[in-house]
Amino acid sequence: MSGLMGTMWMALNALEAQQGGMQTTANNVANLNTPGYSREVPIFQEADPFVQGNLVFGGGVDLEGIQSLRDNLLDMQISAETQQQSSAQSYVAAMNQVQTLFPSDTTGIGQQISAFFQSLNNLSTNPSDLTLRQGVLTAAQNMASAFNDTAEQLISVRQQLDGNVEEQVQQVNQITQQIANINAQLSAVSSSAQQYGSFLDQRSELVQQLSGLIDVSQLNDGASLTLTTKQGTALVVDGQSFSLSTALASDGTQHVYSAQGQDITGQISGGQLGGTLQARDQTIPALQNQLDSLAGGLVTALNTAHQQGTDLYGNTGNNLFLPNTGTGAALNMALAFTDPKMIAASSDGSSGSNGNLANISAVANQAVSNGMTPSDAYGNMVFQVGSAVSDGTSEQDASTAMLQQLQQQQSSVSGVSLDEEASNLLLYQRAYEASAQVISTINQMLQTALNMGAGA
Amino acid sequence: MRVSPQMSQIILAALNTSDQAEQTALQQLTTGRRVNQASDDPAAAAQEVSISSQLNACDQYTRSISSITSELQTADSSLNSAVTALQQAISLGTEGANGTLSQQNRNAIAQQVNDVSQLVLGVANLSYNGVYVFAGTADSQPPYVVDSSGNVQYQGNDGVNYVEIASGQSVPVNQPGSQLFSASGANVFTALSDLANALQDPNSTSQDIGNAVTELRGAYDQLTSARTFYGSTVDQLQSTQDFLNDENVQLSQQQNSTIGVDMNVAVTNLTQAEQARAATVEAAASMNNITLMDYLSNIGQ
Repeated sequence: MSGLMGTMWMALNALEAQQGGMQTTANNVANLNTPGYSREVPIFQEADPFVQGNLVFGGGVDLEGIQSLRDNLLDMQISAETQQQSSAQSYVAAMNQVQTLFPSDTTGIGQQISAFFQSLNNLSTNPSDLTLRQGVLTAAQNMASAFNDTAEQLISVRQQLDGNVEEQVQQVNQITQQIANINAQLSAVSSSAQQYGSFLDQRSELVQQLSGLIDVSQLNDGASLTLTTKQGTALVVDGQSFSLSTALASDGTQHVYSAQGQDITGQISGGQLGGTLQARDQTIPALQNQLDSLAGGLVTALNTAHQQGTDLYGNTGNNLFLPNTGTGAALNMALAFTDPKMIAASSDGSSGSNGNLANISAVANQAVSNGMTPSDAYGNMVFQVGSAVSDGTSEQDASTAMLQQLQQQQSSVSGVSLDEEASNLLLYQRAYEASAQVISTINQMLQTALNMGAGA
Repeated sequence: MRVSPQMSQIILAALNTSDQAEQTALQQLTTGRRVNQASDDPAAAAQEVSISSQLNACDQYTRSISSITSELQTADSSLNSAVTALQQAISLGTEGANGTLSQQNRNAIAQQVNDVSQLVLGVANLSYNGVYVFAGTADSQPPYVVDSSGNVQYQGNDGVNYVEIASGQSVPVNQPGSQLFSASGANVFTALSDLANALQDPNSTSQDIGNAVTELRGAYDQLTSARTFYGSTVDQLQSTQDFLNDENVQLSQQQNSTIGVDMNVAVTNLTQAEQARAATVEAAASMNNITLMDYLSNIGQ
């Protein structure tokens, strides 16, 4: 089409296109602070030209569509980094609680062990003194209580983490269901590119949330998205989600099962679940074992030494502590008697002898747990807990920094810039005004042409 | 390259970092500790467990030394009165050996010798904090009793207690009566009784009395020589106490250098964190408030 009417149509098209641009800007500005939103840009294209004789005239502008700007590779990197960061974060949170149970200064097991050996030295200055004997029993009781308390607290932290696992699995299920719903809607939506974009935004945001909970591996095939754990347990396949479940296993903790009923507890490595499970199933049980080994070793060595002596009744020494060893040794550590006269301090049978106290005191320098003295074994646990928190924190910090960088990169691609939108707004406004001016001018020209006819 | 338009994340992260640094520096300043939880420095925390246990042991050794020292000093000063009494008995015996004395005078002297024996018996049965200090380890009953025939018998034992007064260092803390008063061949009570008997016996010659005095001298020598144990042990305790004081200072210094904070560093850190925070806040305040949008109305006209 050519001629004035054709030109008018072209200008009208341009008006529509600029309006579309304006609408895109409005949408961008409206979603300035929407999480997961990717900015959109209108795609303008030259309309098909038309040929008149030897001349080729431009056909004006077409609004081809509206494109959502996103970088899928960045999305996947962010997802991977989020899995690590969340895992480290929940691990550190759990181990921070554990860390308070292993103080290095004036409280806790280390302090009580040292206080117990001091009470023995104190008694050795006057071995038949009942007050000093009571002092030894009190110190021994305090030491047992410190072991009991720490073991109980460790159990309680694990139970709390158990609750977290259930909660986190429920959140995973909610999110995978939402993602499946979006997948289903996406396969139904055919054309409208703008709607498509906002679906993708939502889905991408949900995948990031999911990455904060569990390790995710994604297979993106156009509109459809398949999500599995890293080890291949299906979470979402197209429009269908596969719920995970939790159940109490024989070891007394909540295990995670796939939709097919397979136990995947040991496979989960990322997200909050990964960190929670690492603390619950690896670090804390290892500490519990060491604590039991120390308690058991200490009890055995002290009992052996105590049995070499004679008490104030003239009887050969009994056990000083109940002979608990192995699992539960720390939790069940307890004095075997409460009568201070039953402390077997004497090595020659007479009431004033303190000879056997030296044997009992010598336990302080004996290897009672994994080749270490009681104090060193406790110090080693302090070191391990501290290292766990410190390593986890470094990992968390590194991940967080990386994630921030990736998010900045993503934002540089997908983020809405008010400066940019303002200049676009100006451009669309000017172009709209100009096109309107063209229409108005053509209108005048048409008027002129009509007048020309009327005048003739 | 397009710059990320969203600066708030960066600003928040920067604020978070400086807040954390500020908090750490503040905590270090208020506690005086660089290591406030094991994760601040796991190796230092583990070391502190050991240092703190050694410090506690040091304190306990000090308490033990003080309690042993009082007991030893009490025993020693009691022994001193026994020694003085025995010296008196020896001069009484020497006087009694003088052939010019009447039997009546000798009997009076014998009575005085018996009084000395009573006094020494009281010393030998000294009880301190509920235990008989010269009874060996059979210290719940008086070590010396007078049997039906009037002889003083030792019913304690030869046991010696040892108390650890520094890591790996133990000292004996008692001297059994069998070393002090009733050593074989140098029994104070036998010697005193022999002397009194010799004085009382009208058939005794000056020679007989002189022999009894010699026997008493032997017992006296044994007692004074065994008694040196107390003085030398108290000396040893004193020097160990000095060593423990040094060790305590050394351990405290070690503890401080392991987990303590360098105040200068902490203050500098605090200042730096505060400055960083202020700078970030200032930058944030000037950054986010102006966009092109603000000028649109002007441009449009």
